[in-house]
Amino acid sequence: MEPTQRPGTGGATSGAAVAEAPTLSSREFTVGFGAATIMSDVTVAFPSGSVTALVGPSGSGKTTYLRSLNRMNDKVRNFWRKGEIRLGDQEIHGREVDPLVLRRRVGMVFQRPNPFPMSIQDNIVAGVRAHRMAKRNELRDIAETRLAEVGLWSAVSDRLNDSPFRLSGGQQQLLCLARALAVEPEVLLLDEPTSSLDPRSTEAVEELIGRLTPRLTVVIVTHNLAQARRVSDYTMFFQDGRLVETGRTEELFERPKSPETARYLGAELATAPRS
Amino acid sequence: MHADASSPRDRAPAAASPAPRGNATAAPRHLGAVVADRLLVVASTIGAVVPLGALVAMVVVLLVEAMPAIRYNGWHFLVGSGFDPGNFYGAAVRTGGIVHLAGASYGAWPLILGTLETAGIALVVGVPIAVGAAIFIVEKLPSRLAGIVGLALELLAGIPSVVIGLWGVLTFGPILSRDVFPVLAHLPNVPVLNIFRGYVGNGEGLLSAGLILAIMIIPIVAATTRDLLRQVPETTKEGAEALGMTASETFFTVQARWIRTGVAGAAVLGLGRALGETIAVALVSGSALSAATNIYGTMTTIAATIATQLDSAQGDPTGLFVKTLAEAALVLLAMSLLINVGARYLVRRSARGAALPIGVGL
Repeated sequence: MEPTQRPGTGGATSGAAVAEAPTLSSREFTVGFGAATIMSDVTVAFPSGSVTALVGPSGSGKTTYLRSLNRMNDKVRNFWRKGEIRLGDQEIHGREVDPLVLRRRVGMVFQRPNPFPMSIQDNIVAGVRAHRMAKRNELRDIAETRLAEVGLWSAVSDRLNDSPFRLSGGQQQLLCLARALAVEPEVLLLDEPTSSLDPRSTEAVEELIGRLTPRLTVVIVTHNLAQARRVSDYTMFFQDGRLVETGRTEELFERPKSPETARYLGAELATAPRS
Repeated sequence: MHADASSPRDRAPAAASPAPRGNATAAPRHLGAVVADRLLVVASTIGAVVPLGALVAMVVVLLVEAMPAIRYNGWHFLVGSGFDPGNFYGAAVRTGGIVHLAGASYGAWPLILGTLETAGIALVVGVPIAVGAAIFIVEKLPSRLAGIVGLALELLAGIPSVVIGLWGVLTFGPILSRDVFPVLAHLPNVPVLNIFRGYVGNGEGLLSAGLILAIMIIPIVAATTRDLLRQVPETTKEGAEALGMTASETFFTVQARWIRTGVAGAAVLGLGRALGETIAVALVSGSALSAATNIYGTMTTIAATIATQLDSAQGDPTGLFVKTLAEAALVLLAMSLLINVGARYLVRRSARGAALPIGVGL
């Protein structure tokens, strides 16, 4: 059967590698569930082709905001929003936007590795298949390319048909990253991707993030300030459901403008283990 | 006292427990704790032995009871047809050392066939409906409604089979034969669909019995499938959604694969019930001791025959009829065990290498 592409995916597949990643931005974006407002009035742009870290105390709304960027909150009960989020010059909540296409363009990796209950190879190509981005006989090559990209190929090349659940937590997370990258997203959202991993796996994931730019725009939520400092070009500091401060990572960490940021960074960095 | 001391059962604990005196290395233990430990060991040993012992004892007793019938009936019992206890008023005859009524001849093939047919219909009809219902309950119904429907499902599982059987005879069967079967009988005359052609009868027969059994296994399979679906991690489903998969793609990528071994296991449970179900089938099958002539035809199963024939079997002065029913019971037991073991093997084999998180997610 001739692979047919979904509306909206055409062209992006071949053009993504060449074209510059689009800018993701939000304007006066407010989000909440029921009576609660989680995050209000966020106006910010995520510079294309760079890594932006979202930091802030637990419960500051970082993750909810991140999930708004590819409309993962849509199905959550009592979810509401105001304001807009743009990918390039397209408003992602627009009538013409298919959320499924949006999520292919704006991928996401979660806190805990969540491989599908199928073989390692099938995991990698699950999204490719769903979006009919390749022919059946190309799938194995895609799996190999993506596994090599995340540095997992040598570890799993002889067990592509085995269960991913026998891999270590770090390997599973790399697998999930490979799976997300296989549908060739333009933006990748990472929700504390290393919070359940050991230091060596964390290092592998961080090293991979470094290699994704400038091809992709990366947004990472992290509780680990040292990690934010290591991997990101820009940092946004959230507190109590507001964006407090944003800037180049070095600047924000060295010379925070807001006293709130300074207080948080000071307290966190003083107690955090050196790494 | 003397006898107590020499009985091995009493001596064993004393020898094994640390002696309170004369053994300096043994830590002093609270007597209660030692007793509790022993009780646990004894209780768990009994618990482990009883089920296996019961199975073995049942097979042995049935085998001993049925042995004369097995020798008299021979292979004819498995492949032959017709249940004829012989002439009740004539003299008993002896063949090969076994006393029987003149002309006694037992062939259980129609019963074996009927058992397999009804169980097969129950699975083919019941499992898809049950799985569909479970998916609907978990994925589509708002949680309050899901609770009510789930409760109804569990209540359905608890209805005594005689009640379902009676309902089958008085209501379900007549409705089927009046409104449903005539429609089925007019399906086109092509392979598979042509099995529905023919005389539809009065609603007591093979298809009615199979459908009644389907109704009886639906709650088991649906409730199990529902619980399995609820165990699928939200984060794995979100992983599929985050790749831009549709709801159905997500379902076939995550949920379906996550639950399929469990659903197969639930189907085996349902099959066990369908094979052994007695009274509902006895009421709805039309109780013919011959095989159904078409899909609506009257028939019977092994379990139903044992229940309906036991009374007249006891009128056989030679006892061969009862022993033959014991043989039939043995055949049913063997079928149930074989099918269960076979199904388990198939489930396990299909799970191997298919990356199902056995013991990880389930």
